[in-house]
Amino acid sequence: MNALRRLALALASSLSLACALPAAAAGVSADEIVVGTVSDLSGPIAMLGVPVRDGMLMRFDEANAAGGVHGRRIRLAVEDAGYDPKRAVLAARKLVQHDQAFAFIANMGTPVVMASMPIIVDAGRLHLFPFSPHRATYEPLHPLKFQNFAPYQDYMEAATRHMVRERGYQRSCLLYQDDDYGLEVMKGVEKALAGLGSELVERTSYKRGATDLSSQVARLRAARCDLVVLATVVRETVAAMSEARKIGWNVDMLVTASGYSAQTHELGGAAVEGLYGVSVLPHPYAEGANSQLAAWIERYRARFKAEPNVWSVMGYTLADLFVRTAEATGRELTPERFARTLEGMAFTRDYFGSPAYRFSADDHLGNRKGRLAQIRNGRWELITDYLD
Amino acid sequence: MSAALSRGAGAAVRAALPWLAVLLLALAWLGTDYALGKATLVATYAIAGLGVVVVVGQAGQIALGQAALVALGAYAQALLVARGVPAPLALPAAAAAGALGGALASLPARRLGGLYFGMSTLAFALIVEEALARWESLTYGAAGLAVGAFAFAGWRADSTLAQAAVSVAALALALLACARLLASRHGRAWRAVRDDELAAAACGIDTDAAKMQAFVVGGALSGLAGGLYAHWIGFISPEQFGLVFSFELLMLAFIGGARRIAGAAWGALVIVAIPPLISLLRDRLPGDWARASGLELLLFGAVIVAVVLLRPAGLAGGGQGR
Repeated sequence: MNALRRLALALASSLSLACALPAAAAGVSADEIVVGTVSDLSGPIAMLGVPVRDGMLMRFDEANAAGGVHGRRIRLAVEDAGYDPKRAVLAARKLVQHDQAFAFIANMGTPVVMASMPIIVDAGRLHLFPFSPHRATYEPLHPLKFQNFAPYQDYMEAATRHMVRERGYQRSCLLYQDDDYGLEVMKGVEKALAGLGSELVERTSYKRGATDLSSQVARLRAARCDLVVLATVVRETVAAMSEARKIGWNVDMLVTASGYSAQTHELGGAAVEGLYGVSVLPHPYAEGANSQLAAWIERYRARFKAEPNVWSVMGYTLADLFVRTAEATGRELTPERFARTLEGMAFTRDYFGSPAYRFSADDHLGNRKGRLAQIRNGRWELITDYLD
Repeated sequence: MSAALSRGAGAAVRAALPWLAVLLLALAWLGTDYALGKATLVATYAIAGLGVVVVVGQAGQIALGQAALVALGAYAQALLVARGVPAPLALPAAAAAGALGGALASLPARRLGGLYFGMSTLAFALIVEEALARWESLTYGAAGLAVGAFAFAGWRADSTLAQAAVSVAALALALLACARLLASRHGRAWRAVRDDELAAAACGIDTDAAKMQAFVVGGALSGLAGGLYAHWIGFISPEQFGLVFSFELLMLAFIGGARRIAGAAWGALVIVAIPPLISLLRDRLPGDWARASGLELLLFGAVIVAVVLLRPAGLAGGGQGR
């Protein structure tokens, strides 16, 4: 019984000790700022997670090499949740308590974001720019939540409206992934068509990870669609285009920014020629790049021994927004001061061709716009400016 | 009588000692919130795994879709709580939803045996996942469902300590109930069916009924775990309860030891706690090693291979396989 009592005592004392630790400004010390990210490095969207992380690492390394932010080095603490909310909960707790992350950037995947966001904001940490289309990432307004990815619904509405208006499509259809992503796109497309006095002629879905889309494409063809909007990711985009071309159906297709990737034309080759896509940030092609972009691509190659893609640019851009806001906040860095500074920041368009990001005290969504691009001669070419 | 009681209590204390040691170590090393958050999930997974231990380890049936039963519990809990039912009162309903699902999943066992029946449980899981995604008016489909805190009469399990306490209490009750069941006529019938179904039938055991009972109990446990899971994760969507989760639960049972109820707890510890521990160790690795993608999965695989090789009957099952 004595042993049991001793155990209980030890348990109680360790608990009270941990509770009594001082609540200093988490993640900010005299010479370091810790930034956390709950990414997907091994799950279904690892092909986004790895370049996003590398892009962020590159920007933070540059800031550190230039003397840090007000003398503080930035350390990126990366956790892999593999799109699994259970792992995300543990990862977020680890970053909050063990690594004492000051802010979270680019947490990846809706289940991951929805499961970890309450833990993060309840601990008083910033939740910045997550990879999730969910409105809860910026609405209702929360002092610590900021988003800068244009919602699928908003930019797909603008893109569909532009395409149908300019090119006179009569029978618009939708192929969508049956999850929150697909549903968001559907809402945007339906809204655009309703505004033009039209509606979707046919809609058909697939489960994430499906590789055979032949029945869906056959169904869309039977409905005599003249525009197919794709709420797909890279592999399914290629599969849908290839299937249509294989059966001799030369329909126009428009994919969301999730399909706007160099991998789409690398994998799809001739089959994806002519595909329309929405870009919220251009792919960094070395050929024809401006001098700043070319130098950036060289630095990226040298650092990671890999070609940068649009996700690397996104990671780099997100980290850049963080660094610039932290610099503008000043030496006294707290989540509240950072958030109020970010609300006053306007980020103009840069050499990547990004949109202008702007936040305010009553709007924490930095961008709502995308622009149209098309695959021509094996690469994406931008064909419009950012659409309203 | 009192001697037997104190012997039982002594055994319980001995069984609890390694767990207290693990908890203390975790508290000291990881910090309170992190360790307690992990304890919450370990206990919740252990309850779900207990369902697999009953069905697979005790009744000898193949269950490839246990996550669907967790999903039924999670959705039942989320929907009831959203309609104002206090969380502790919704939990029995979550368990009942799991039990009902278990009963349905076990129906093909009357006609099918072995692997064929295993395939039918897989199909059942796919049907449940699909139904949850399609029945949008009730489940909000693939967009998912936010679940509030575990609350009752003005008290909310907001802190990790409260969450851990609720889950560990539920696990303790579940372990107790299981221990009693396994020692009863039902438990003996399950083991008889597992060891030799024909011989069991020859002894007068209604094998169909025994299998269904195992599924009902296993389903109730997994449903209960689902109810808790919904609160701890705070957001549920059909994809979370896919085949990966089902296989995780199977792995959990085999790593821990499918033939003992303590196996569920040990298995849950490995499945839930090892990946974050690996990530802590990874932070200590030099240079680009720490950046390598999938390193955690690789190490996790190595741990599982080691467990299977060194403890073929599971962590709770002793050194030799049976």
